[in-house]
Amino acid sequence: MPKNTLKICIGTPCHLMGASELLELINELDQNLRDKIELKTSHCIDDCCEQAPVAEFNGRIYQDLNPEKLYKIIRDNIR
Amino acid sequence: MNGKNISEVIKLKRRLYIELLRLVKTGKLAEEISNLSQKMITKDSPRYRCCEFKERAIFDQRIKAVMGFNIASNKDKSLKELAKSLPRQGKKRNIVEVIDTACDSCPIDKYLVTDACRNCVAHKCVNVCPVNAIVIIQNKAYIDQDKCVECGKCAGACSYNAILENQRPCSRACELDAISSDSNRQAKIDREKCVSCGSCITACPFGAITETGDLIQVALELFSEKNSLAAMLAPSFVGQFGYQQSPAKIKYGLKKLGFEEVKEVAAGAEITAAAESKELKEKIMEEETLLSSCCPAFKRMVLNEFESLSRLISNTDSPMAVTAQKIKNENNKLKTIFIGPCTAKKEEALQNENVDYVLTFEELLALFTAHNINLAEIEEAEKLEDAGVLGRQFAYAGGLQKSLRELVKVDYKSKQIDGLGRLKKELYLIKAKKNNYNFLEGMACTGGCIGGPSAMISKGAAKKLVQNFAESN
Repeated sequence: MPKNTLKICIGTPCHLMGASELLELINELDQNLRDKIELKTSHCIDDCCEQAPVAEFNGRIYQDLNPEKLYKIIRDNIR
Repeated sequence: MNGKNISEVIKLKRRLYIELLRLVKTGKLAEEISNLSQKMITKDSPRYRCCEFKERAIFDQRIKAVMGFNIASNKDKSLKELAKSLPRQGKKRNIVEVIDTACDSCPIDKYLVTDACRNCVAHKCVNVCPVNAIVIIQNKAYIDQDKCVECGKCAGACSYNAILENQRPCSRACELDAISSDSNRQAKIDREKCVSCGSCITACPFGAITETGDLIQVALELFSEKNSLAAMLAPSFVGQFGYQQSPAKIKYGLKKLGFEEVKEVAAGAEITAAAESKELKEKIMEEETLLSSCCPAFKRMVLNEFESLSRLISNTDSPMAVTAQKIKNENNKLKTIFIGPCTAKKEEALQNENVDYVLTFEELLALFTAHNINLAEIEEAEKLEDAGVLGRQFAYAGGLQKSLRELVKVDYKSKQIDGLGRLKKELYLIKAKKNNYNFLEGMACTGGCIGGPSAMISKGAAKKLVQNFAESN
């Protein structure tokens, strides 16, 4: 059972601002890292659509993401 | 999304779409438009130019383009004035345009003298320079960049290859050499060569090249509720509107947005394929070559640069044209809106009386967002089954070729090429009659339409989704 949970918002505002790139990043992660993460999708995280794209990693919300930012967040916070 | 990332430039453009659409929605477009740049660009927002005032000046130009106005020819008109003149009559405009205030006149784009310079006796570089920009300083050629007009003669003349060409992103991206620089070293588009493929727009890291669009016009039509609109979804639309968002849900979403009808352009593509297969049979008999006509950028390139080959272009209307014609025949009051990943289709639509507007996928997504329609939250769906595999596979490179194989039963050779640079080379071969096939499928974008400049997901993922959808009917 993976110890980490990543939730990516796939709502329309987040998709417009690049949510699909975040999903792609997860598909391309190193298998070691990928196995530790349970990936979920969400229709909207915390109504912060103005700061799209949004994701939640281990309970903390991150806004205005891009693949590079998300990768660093995962690398720095993985359990 | 040709492997590119969604940069700050793209995000800013998309945020602008949303803000403008919100103004349209509240009926305050003309009233508030002059304040928009001030609202969106503050002293504290990220800045890439000297000051926020320049950022705003650039932003105002961008707004003009989003409203569908050419920047250069409307330089003296205020945003308010332009907003009031909407909806605009007449379709004449340039699709791809340089925002001159945003163009950084790329300093990286100069010719550089490297250490390979030997300060030779011949001094070919000094002699060949038409503007006397090269002098010898400390035993080395030196280019006075204020004088240099970037003609490149020095680089060609040097016997040691010591002068390096450092090309701009925009002109490197343009495979048809349609971008040069003017006397201020700003990017300039050669309209005789440009096919509106959109490569330069994607390539410029300053966002200084932009497309004029119909987004605000369409929004005004939607909100005025006087006109009935028909959405025409390009075959490449599958998967472009969000992870696991089905075509049926997108149809429902479009209806919710206010579109009266939603049609697959793939249905028109089936008619195109059938007509093209007849043309192909004739060409096979005549031992001639047929060039595909559904990609407007490829077609335009043939017309611009290979006049003698223009008779080989298929006379069949494009899937967009066929679909629009069909809709108008059934109900002349409907306005037709093509939705696709393509800037060249905007150009094609200007020449076609049946196509009223063109939106890109990102423009439509902004329309959903401004309308607070979150596709992911919608449970309802409405079946979309206008077409089968022969039309739906037009979305990716090789699809048209495959459809024709099904329809033309005789034995013949064909070739498929994507990318304008490679196509241009191939056309030279055809011109010299050195090709051994009867049909060439030409797609300007790598991967076909799914690799278009406004595609929202990667080509690989898009192709799978299109294939699944094609086989489902």
